[in-house]
Amino acid sequence: MIKLFKNKVVNFGLIVFSVVAFYKIEAVNAQASHMFRTYKHEVPQKLPENQNAVADGKKVYEKRCWYCHGITGGGNGPAAKTMFPKPRNFTRNEFKVRSTPFGSVPTDEDLFRIITSGIEGTAMPFWNTISETERWQVVYYLKTFNEQFKKDTSPEVLSVGNVVATQESIEKGRELFKEMKCYNCHGEDGRGNGPLTVAMQTQWNMPYRARDLTQSWNFKGGNTAGDIYRTISTGFNETPMGSYKDKLTDEERWSLAHYVESISKKMASDVVVKVKLLESGEMPGNPADEAWGQVTPMEIPLAGQIIAHPRLWEPSVDSVMIRGLYNDDEIAFLVEWDDRTNRQEDIFRDAVSLQFPAKIPDSLKKPYFGMGDSGGIVNLWQWKAYWNEGFGSVAEAPGSEPGSIMELNAKGFKKISVQPPEGQDVTGGGVYVNGRWKVVFKRALKTEDEKKDIQFEIGKLIPIAFAAWDGSNSDAGGQKSISAWYYILLEKPMPKTVFVYVLIAVVMGASVELWFLARLRRFPPKLEEDQE
Amino acid sequence: MGNKRSQYLMFWVVAAVIFLFFFLKYVSPVVFQVLMGKGHPMPTPSTLMMWYMIMGILAGLVYATTSNQKFVDFLGFLLPGQGTFLKFFLQKIFFIAFPLVVGWFVYSYSLPGAASPVELRIQHPTLPQKYEKMENPFREKDADIQRKCIEEGKVLFQTYCRPCHGSKADGNGPFANSFRLRPINFQDPGTIATVVDNYLFWRIKEGGPGLPSESTPWDSAMPAWDGDLEDEQMWKIIMGEYDTAGVMPRQREKAE
Repeated sequence: MIKLFKNKVVNFGLIVFSVVAFYKIEAVNAQASHMFRTYKHEVPQKLPENQNAVADGKKVYEKRCWYCHGITGGGNGPAAKTMFPKPRNFTRNEFKVRSTPFGSVPTDEDLFRIITSGIEGTAMPFWNTISETERWQVVYYLKTFNEQFKKDTSPEVLSVGNVVATQESIEKGRELFKEMKCYNCHGEDGRGNGPLTVAMQTQWNMPYRARDLTQSWNFKGGNTAGDIYRTISTGFNETPMGSYKDKLTDEERWSLAHYVESISKKMASDVVVKVKLLESGEMPGNPADEAWGQVTPMEIPLAGQIIAHPRLWEPSVDSVMIRGLYNDDEIAFLVEWDDRTNRQEDIFRDAVSLQFPAKIPDSLKKPYFGMGDSGGIVNLWQWKAYWNEGFGSVAEAPGSEPGSIMELNAKGFKKISVQPPEGQDVTGGGVYVNGRWKVVFKRALKTEDEKKDIQFEIGKLIPIAFAAWDGSNSDAGGQKSISAWYYILLEKPMPKTVFVYVLIAVVMGASVELWFLARLRRFPPKLEEDQE
Repeated sequence: MGNKRSQYLMFWVVAAVIFLFFFLKYVSPVVFQVLMGKGHPMPTPSTLMMWYMIMGILAGLVYATTSNQKFVDFLGFLLPGQGTFLKFFLQKIFFIAFPLVVGWFVYSYSLPGAASPVELRIQHPTLPQKYEKMENPFREKDADIQRKCIEEGKVLFQTYCRPCHGSKADGNGPFANSFRLRPINFQDPGTIATVVDNYLFWRIKEGGPGLPSESTPWDSAMPAWDGDLEDEQMWKIIMGEYDTAGVMPRQREKAE
């Protein structure tokens, strides 16, 4: 009996150990983010469209929709002032996501889908939280704002279907992208930085921004190949994005959609930025260095700074991508983000900043994530695009000028100080290529000024936060895009001793097992004690 | 007792534990996705997973030791002799797999850590004393004025709070993704429905910086609206906020 008990204990111990190990592995993989709204295609049975439905729709509209879209549907509700893009004006035919020809109003189903799914990158939420009946009612009500809904009663509806992408179709799409001059608005690499977009934004001050085709999360009306095909086919009303239905065959539009899908990416976000050990070679000082290819990038979503006055309600930079490398002496970061223009104007300059606590926190306590506080000082590394007063009021940062880097400290957003010239230790520079800024920051792991400069340590979680400014969006000072605290971790190189530990563990595991089996064979469990 | 079957008791127990692991890891996220009508799988949280695995293994052990007969059968699986080829084969697999699994655990343990830090915080700190006695000046007004205040509050809410807390007050505003402490979902019955107006007044007025340190003020993106909004506007926002979220403030106990 005692023997049996002993064996039970051994077994139990081993099993508990394995459970703890399961837990550990799970914790590493637990980061799964589903941050964005998705376009939902299914539409349920329609409700009869009649006076009662419209009257009920009015109630829903005046309870939930009018704050942004306006009481008369003009897209000018009281809350619209803190929004960009602006809410849809229902009295005009500026409906974007449609399965009907360019210039027509959308179908009831189109409106239902948008109300259900919301639109990422805008203030439009997903209303699948109200009943289907209410959604149909509100569709019927908002149709009363625009006479055209009465005229276009049976528009030709595009049926999307499904065509699978092939290497060939993507290649063909790439050629069509050039042939149809899509790059005029969307830019050569699809970042929405085409010359027409830039001119409309900066010279004519028009609200049109060609979609950044690399950021799939911001596509209006879905980001599957079918959704892109629909947009190419029907266009967006009252925008420069026209319909290509008559200019391209069905097959060609699918190819173009496949190409656009192939250049779009998902946002790969996480909490800890892993800074990789650079095993050999020099620390890269410029963004084009091949060494950056070794590092898996991570993306950080940004929001407008609305914590303190002056606030930025309409941010234009919605994410930055970050990579880190270190060696025995130095650490370097590559920060990238999409920006449609490279125009700099007086105080409105493109910029990016990394924020660290001046000292790695010993406890949970960190400085306030928005520029620190009286109890916690932060160290800021800020890069600003080059601008020269001699250039006139608006200028493009020349490619040869990498911009300037400043090291600052802050104890709250009102107490910011630039470090003296002898304290400036960060080097690096930026380059603007095809709608994307790439900026490198580089510094020694340790500096002499331990009070003001972050001292990096290997294997410790070090808080980091980000800020970005878009000059052409009139970002300056406190009007910027910001993130919360994230972490960087200078990854310990895989110690060679790991394999020794593993070997020991395997040998120990095997010994315990052999001992256990030997014992079991020598004293096989029997039932006699109980039976006799 | 069906002797033939119980020869494989240990195998079945181990198989059940492995099955449980894969169920929690891959099947249950999809099941919950369908049940809750979400557009994405719902991964099992790692702590929950740990507890389920402990329970599963304990259940297996308890089952294997419910009678001495069972326990003998359970261990008997490891004994040599009169078995089929299948049993012989499974024995060898167990024999080889055990040390390898142990080695693998040690390996994954000693990999340079990449786990997210533990960030503990108290979500509902105690209301500071100076806010305790305050009253929402508009709650006692007649119905017409109240309705007007709610409507004004909703406009203010949609203007200033919507970017993070969302048009529906569900914590899904366009800025919500950027803040790792996600803006609070006011529709959740565990949030504003459990407190009174004063509490929200404190949170709006002092924001993240006004939190005590056990509630990690340094991570909170809630602005301190004191100075940018009038007190009256805040009281109205609170009324509009409850209305937008579709919940009611906690009822005060009646003081005699």
